[in-house]
Amino acid sequence: MNAPTSASALPDLAAVGERIQSEVQRAIQRSIKGVEYFASSGPALGSTPKDIILSKGTMNLYHYRPQADEIYRIPLLIVMATTNRGYILDLVPGQSFIEFLLKKGFDVYMLDWTAPRPDEKSLRMEDYVLGFIPDCIRKVQEDSGEADVNVIGYCFGGVLSLLYGSIFPDGPMKNLVCFTTPIDFREMKLFQNFSDRRYFDVDRLVDSVGNVPPEMILSSFEMLRPASRAVSQIQLWENIWNDEYVKSFRMFDRWAQDTLPLAGEYFRTITKDLMWDNKLFNDTMSVGGHAADLSKIKVPLLHAVAEHDHIVPYDAAKHLIAKIGSTDKTEVILKGGHVSLVAGANAIKRLWPKLDSWLSERST
Amino acid sequence: MSDKANDPVQVWHTMLAEMEKGFNAMATQVMGTEQFSRVTHQLTGASVGAQKTVGDLMERYLVAMNLPSRAQMVSFGERLNAIEGQLNEIKALLNRVHGDAQDNGLSTPKPPRTKQPPSATGGGGSA
Repeated sequence: MNAPTSASALPDLAAVGERIQSEVQRAIQRSIKGVEYFASSGPALGSTPKDIILSKGTMNLYHYRPQADEIYRIPLLIVMATTNRGYILDLVPGQSFIEFLLKKGFDVYMLDWTAPRPDEKSLRMEDYVLGFIPDCIRKVQEDSGEADVNVIGYCFGGVLSLLYGSIFPDGPMKNLVCFTTPIDFREMKLFQNFSDRRYFDVDRLVDSVGNVPPEMILSSFEMLRPASRAVSQIQLWENIWNDEYVKSFRMFDRWAQDTLPLAGEYFRTITKDLMWDNKLFNDTMSVGGHAADLSKIKVPLLHAVAEHDHIVPYDAAKHLIAKIGSTDKTEVILKGGHVSLVAGANAIKRLWPKLDSWLSERST
Repeated sequence: MSDKANDPVQVWHTMLAEMEKGFNAMATQVMGTEQFSRVTHQLTGASVGAQKTVGDLMERYLVAMNLPSRAQMVSFGERLNAIEGQLNEIKALLNRVHGDAQDNGLSTPKPPRTKQPPSATGGGGSA
């Protein structure tokens, strides 16, 4: 009886010993790296070489310098969400979506946003859909010498691209890719409750503050998963010995905290037309007097959505394929969340190759 | 598997993940209620109102003290931003017209737009 018991117990004791040793080493590393963490800045983000070729207040248009010997005929314009900075798509070399596209031979432009200035509080949805996007498209045409332009819209950048595409269905947009783009705003349940028209006086807010402060936007995102911020800090401390973990944490955390304010009038329209009246879904949306009917969009469409997206749940995004007028339309549902769909280790394996194979066929 | 179950670090991780999930689920339920919406917006409304009143008073105080008000500083910032924007435009124009000797890539010819998808070339692309 004794012999087998002691034989099976011995490896466990050795494993426990190793575990303790490893934990002690990590504890020491945590102390050393913890000091380093606070004494150093994070990795440089958004460093893929680019030129600003158009700048108008809150809007910047970048052209990324090609990294392939031969590029596809049709240039690609990425429209970033207005609440966040575009460098989420250009993290560090090896983890940059932009770099990936450039190496695959795409000619990449990005419409990125900066914080609207106080005098830009009066920017309306029209200024974005009928001003900024068409201006960028024209500049891309002029810069590339090509009449056609492919467009990728991320999150609300997708909504803006859809509005643009529905108002200008005859081009020059040739193909459209949307990442996690909401259509049915009723299904964004918590945002619906945050903006409940019975209690949320959007007019009073906008009239008082002008541009909606980034803290308000950030806290509404964080409230969707209120425990996650605290847990991520605990996980950071646990993994602070791991340089790769810390690097990744810093990249995503910096980006998430770098939320942009929203122009007041634009926010008022989003709240009233989309959150309250769900006009995009109900086919009653108009921008500057132009009806924005999704069924008018006939260009090929790829919609990539994330299985575990807590910001744009699948139910809010799933109707795009049915509503769009295109015959060549594809929806891909990938594992991941709102951000990990487009950036990070999982995106490299899942979304990026899918997008490359879909878009390369439509870029000549 | 049994090692994992007995590993205190693993147990801690599992517990943390479950706590996060549970708390988020509970908070989501609470935040989904009408009461939450009402109370939050009452508080936000009061805070916005107070902010505006304090802002107005402060503005008057600064004028009385012969100090620049926030609006004046904002306007100053706007003018600086406008100048910065114009400088960017001039820089972009200069880059375009003259090229840039310091590795800005614009002086080098653009690659040809002749790339074909892998399916057309029978396999992997060139880059």
